[in-house]
Amino acid sequence: MTKEIPVNWATGTDSVVSKCSEEGGYDLYFGPVHPGSGNFGVRLSVCGEQVIAARADPGYLHRGFEKLMEYRTPLQNAVLSDRLCILESLNWNLVHAEAVDRLQGTEIPDRAKYLRVIMAELSRIQSHIIWYGVLSKALGFDTGFKLAFTYRDYVLDVFEFITGGRVYPAGYICPGGVRRDFPDGTKKRIEELLEKLERMISEFESYDTSTICARTRGIGVLTLEDAIRLGATGPVLRGSGLRADVRRDAPYEVYDAFDFEIPVREEGDAFARLTIRRIEVEQSINILRQALRQLPAEKLPPVKPKVVNKIPEGEVYVRNEIARGEAAIYMRGVGESHPYRCKVRGPDLLHMIPVLEHLLVGAEVADVPAIYWSLNVCPADMDR
Amino acid sequence: MTGNQRTAGMGSFLEAVRGKFDTQDRVADDGSIWVSVAKEQLLEVLAFCKASGFDHCSAISATDWPESETFELTYHLWSYHDRLLVTVKSTIDRTDPVVGSAMAIWGPSAQIHERELHELFGVRFQGNPDLAPLFLENWEGPPPFRKDFNWRDFVRKEFYDEGDPRELGYWDR
Repeated sequence: MTKEIPVNWATGTDSVVSKCSEEGGYDLYFGPVHPGSGNFGVRLSVCGEQVIAARADPGYLHRGFEKLMEYRTPLQNAVLSDRLCILESLNWNLVHAEAVDRLQGTEIPDRAKYLRVIMAELSRIQSHIIWYGVLSKALGFDTGFKLAFTYRDYVLDVFEFITGGRVYPAGYICPGGVRRDFPDGTKKRIEELLEKLERMISEFESYDTSTICARTRGIGVLTLEDAIRLGATGPVLRGSGLRADVRRDAPYEVYDAFDFEIPVREEGDAFARLTIRRIEVEQSINILRQALRQLPAEKLPPVKPKVVNKIPEGEVYVRNEIARGEAAIYMRGVGESHPYRCKVRGPDLLHMIPVLEHLLVGAEVADVPAIYWSLNVCPADMDR
Repeated sequence: MTGNQRTAGMGSFLEAVRGKFDTQDRVADDGSIWVSVAKEQLLEVLAFCKASGFDHCSAISATDWPESETFELTYHLWSYHDRLLVTVKSTIDRTDPVVGSAMAIWGPSAQIHERELHELFGVRFQGNPDLAPLFLENWEGPPPFRKDFNWRDFVRKEFYDEGDPRELGYWDR
């Protein structure tokens, strides 16, 4: 029986393919309804236990945000930007708000910059916690899953207290600053939360010798050269050994006012990516403590919708470091109330297609979930 | 890296681009460089950027300008070494949108952006072997991100029933 096996052009697997045509292979679908794969699939061509080719199958969450944004005002788009990635909506709020602010030349009050950073860092922590939970679940390590989702709820409680929404903050970080200042008592609540999160990190660390380590160490090794070639950013790139972080390389908001470390690992395997994210949670706690200390005292007036809110003629490309890597928006204004073009660049288009396809080739079927989740994927920001 | 070194990297890069190619450039307030170049020189300029240390092809985007019958392509590049952001812009014909692929320069990271633009704008990248549909399933209409594709009309026609009183609101607008 002859069967067409897709050749992964990116990695060139001709020799394995011919081996498998003799022995007979089959196609295996990972997703789009696999528990924990997200709304995304990848078609694996399998020879025995070995994956010989992988073809990503995106599009299940394509909502056409870039086009939708061309029909909406900046304040409407702020709400829409929540949905760019369900798992870290506040970070996407920030990228969008910065793009509009820069085009409109708005000066943001210092306190608003600090509030933005606080929310963005909480969002990063929350996203890393979900990722730890889902990775654990994918590896059959249920303790990690339950632990992570318990702690995530504490962060969501704080989001609800501040923005009114647990997952979607309804454009809390909006052009001009933030929708409204923190309610009274927020500082104390965040400080209490940070103490809880520190306990969480030590619990996570105590499991490093268990399933999660055995299943991720030496798996899905991405060399630095490949990471750059395939367009990896964020923790995936840092896990392969490059100290690159937009917060430090091109500081935005008030990130240059903080002293924080950027973790890097040389190994490039799934375990390295895991360790990096855990240290990043520690560093985010560190940034949050500094931000709370430095936070200017004077309260902000709420941001009111402007009667005339046009985006002037011009173009910007704004890059931010979100939990998954580099997020960017290219916005073009022509003096209308809507952006003329808004290109959204999410880290996952690269992580879920070229990087994932590359890492899966040659892997064992049983390692697919470990590799998949070590990239901390979010189909929403890939499909947009 | 200090601010001075960044400025030095930017200065020497701009000087080299101006000396080698016929381009227009500007430096934005945020320190990013914007270079406009004719389509014929686009790939040469991109290759020069890569050789100058712009290892990271952050994104490739297209903007549709139906009135002038053009697409404006923007290549957003980042240098990990100099910590510089450069955007290379070029204009191509909208009626026959063909341009050389940047795959030979950045490999898979450029490939996937080009595949996306092919699907959503209909730009053809010569030399890119895989421009298969990415997000849309069984799509037969025009490339949907073009300005002349009206998604509201499309959605009304495809998904709403004018005779259904509950859906009248979608027809009034």
